[in-house]
Amino acid sequence: MKKIDKKEKAVVIIGSGAGGGTMAYELTRAGIPCVCLEAGPFHKKEDYVNDEWGAFLQMAWLDARTTSGDWRVAKDFSGLPTWLCKAVGGTTTHWAGATPRFMDYEFKTKSTYGNLKGANLLDWPVTLKDMEPYYTRAEDAIGSTHRGGRAALPANNNYKVFAEGAKRVGYKFYATGPYGTNAEPYDGRPGSVQDGFNFQGDKNGSKWSTAKREIPRALETGLLDLRTHSHVTKITHNKEGLVDGVIYRDVDGNEQRQAAQVVIVSGNSIESPRLLLLSESSMFPNGLANSSGEVGRNYMRHLTGSMYARFEKPVKMWRGETMAGFCADEVKHNPKRGFVGGYYMETLALGPAFLSSFLDPGAWGREFTDMMDGYENIAGMWIVGEDMPQSNNRVTLNTDVKDQYGNPVPNVHFDEHKNDIAMRNYAYEKAEKLYESVGAIQTWRTPPYPSTHNLGTNRMSAKSKDGVVNKWGRSHDIKNLYIADGSVMTTGAAANPTLTITALSIRFSENVISQLKKGNI
Amino acid sequence: MIIIIIEGGDMSISRRSFVFGSVAASVFISLWDINPSKAEVKVGDNAEDKKLIIKMVRDVYPHDRFPEAPYERTANDVITKGNADSAKKTMLSEGIENLKKANYGKLNFKKSTKYLKKIENSGFFQHVRSTSVVTLYNDQEVWGLLGYEGSSFEKGGYINRGFNDLDWLPDPRIEEHPDLAAFLKADPNRLAAIEDMIKLN
Ligand SMILES: Cc1cc2nc3c(=O)[nH]c(=O)nc-3n(C[C@H](O)[C@H](O)[C@H](O)COP(=O)(O)OP(=O)(O)OC[C@H]3O[C@@H](n4cnc5c(N)ncnc54)[C@H](O)[C@@H]3O)c2cc1C
Repeated sequence: MKKIDKKEKAVVIIGSGAGGGTMAYELTRAGIPCVCLEAGPFHKKEDYVNDEWGAFLQMAWLDARTTSGDWRVAKDFSGLPTWLCKAVGGTTTHWAGATPRFMDYEFKTKSTYGNLKGANLLDWPVTLKDMEPYYTRAEDAIGSTHRGGRAALPANNNYKVFAEGAKRVGYKFYATGPYGTNAEPYDGRPGSVQDGFNFQGDKNGSKWSTAKREIPRALETGLLDLRTHSHVTKITHNKEGLVDGVIYRDVDGNEQRQAAQVVIVSGNSIESPRLLLLSESSMFPNGLANSSGEVGRNYMRHLTGSMYARFEKPVKMWRGETMAGFCADEVKHNPKRGFVGGYYMETLALGPAFLSSFLDPGAWGREFTDMMDGYENIAGMWIVGEDMPQSNNRVTLNTDVKDQYGNPVPNVHFDEHKNDIAMRNYAYEKAEKLYESVGAIQTWRTPPYPSTHNLGTNRMSAKSKDGVVNKWGRSHDIKNLYIADGSVMTTGAAANPTLTITALSIRFSENVISQLKKGNI
Repeated sequence: MIIIIIEGGDMSISRRSFVFGSVAASVFISLWDINPSKAEVKVGDNAEDKKLIIKMVRDVYPHDRFPEAPYERTANDVITKGNADSAKKTMLSEGIENLKKANYGKLNFKKSTKYLKKIENSGFFQHVRSTSVVTLYNDQEVWGLLGYEGSSFEKGGYINRGFNDLDWLPDPRIEEHPDLAAFLKADPNRLAAIEDMIKLN
């Protein structure tokens, strides 16, 4: 592996997930040496375990965090607002693989939905047309099924119930993808063996993650200095206000400094704004890249909610790909339903260990155990829709609670917008009808889990007063500071975010490369 | 609240545990690291108290077809984790005392449920409930009783072992509907027109 001297002014990427891993791959492929600092370890497919709690403890980001706001997560999982990973590959190690694109108007929700009280909507500085070539490249990288001539996954048991229910209630747009796990061998990865442990890393290596594809290939170029167990605590800058280095803790907890020519922050929507805020200085008293005051704001987590339904006959939902089932019929903006935006329905299967904890946190007694007792006969779906960006839904530093390095932990504040609640209730009702049409005898409205989709805390904007980065992921304030991860999302759309994060990262990398070549940074 | 406890400064999973919690209570999850010999277990560690806790776990998560063993393992975990520190010990011993005062051991399911409803917000109840929901449903015997098959990769997954063996519904389409692209592309203002188009198909 490449060794870059700590005193050498390097291109430094913080995080190796969807955003950071893709950036490392694109830059090294273009001949640019990089240092990638990743807080977590590098698990290989043989390290993954077919065990829900086991995999969670192996990969999840468990550093202290706090919560506030009226969201139920703050009550049920007050120290665990999100379900994110600390590992090479970031949360793509845990992700399932649903890869829809945004629709055209989802890049312009302010123009489309109009002014909605309490919602801080803003049009993106990019359009679907700008994004299309990058979407194609991201789909080819991920190996999305149903795209680029790639085969669809076969129907598993959970999908059979879902699709037949969809059909019976009159929906049309159901399919087993697009999904980022191979149905057939593609790009060096085998077809799925349907082991049911896709969330747990996928021991078969059929699922795309940056730990599986981008990071190993970046290492193969000989240009990547990947430092695992390296947790960045501060980005430093020079007198001119340009970033010039990062401070991090190494595997032994010792403080190190890497000099930097360019810094690309890819720590996800919680850690990226936190790091910018932690990097405050006398020149930047509100944190780096924060002249707009937008760092940490407009935190979104998608609508989400799940519906589990129990039947008289076996389903065995745990067998097969976890989320290979899609239905798009409710995704279009149609205010007649009583809310703006729309949502997808996607199959979701949990084992008894997770289902019991997440079905209805805090629930107990006969009704709950009746449901659990019928575990073999349960089918499940996830509802994922656009939630409204709100200025006060935000990541801030909680100076009362310190992490293992003595730094303030991030507090994640989230209040639900009325639109979110209206959409979720509508979606629950529709989902109940869907499952009842195929004979459900008991249904359960499961509230949102700790957030798996974390978006929007360093939003992209055309104008510097409205956001943190421009349409190339470059911070409005500091020209050699980029952000490439879920935090740059201006608004959330209904689509699962990772395809868009990956496509944006590919797009941003072109700007980093050209600016470096021109000697501008 | 989540607290990571890293014993001996070693980050390996086998030594990692954490507290997974809600406002009312927190559960000490240590899936590999249950080593009761390390903890000084005193409160609740006798046959009489254990019997009460076993009954309570069963009343909170009643499964008539489950044998005693998984409930007993869960109760042991409730007791071990209830001895984690002095505050927990106090909580546990007071909780058990109150069960005794209420003659809980003799109450039938209906009356037990009524009593548990009354103490639902207590730290003791939350400790028992939130420990049990994790431990009981992470128990391999319980998985078997529920029909869940656990780890499958070493058996080749389910590709040839029934990932699609559901036979009480027809086999669905797996490809996308031919109109999907037009539907997604359509201007939302033209939605009504598109919906009509779909109905005509
Ligand atoms: C169970 C589950 C299922 C999911 N399914 C889907 C799906 O089907 N479709 C979809 O689109 N999305 C899915 N997601 C979401 C998806 O995983 C995320 O959207 C995506 O990985 C986010 O990318 P990111 O680059 O923003 O951050 P991440 O992938 O989280 O990467 C951030 C990385 O930065 C590292 N890091 C953070 N701070 C620091 C620091 N200070 N120093 C060094 N390193 C740091 C972290 O350790 C991590 O490796 C799922 C998520 C989960 C948990």
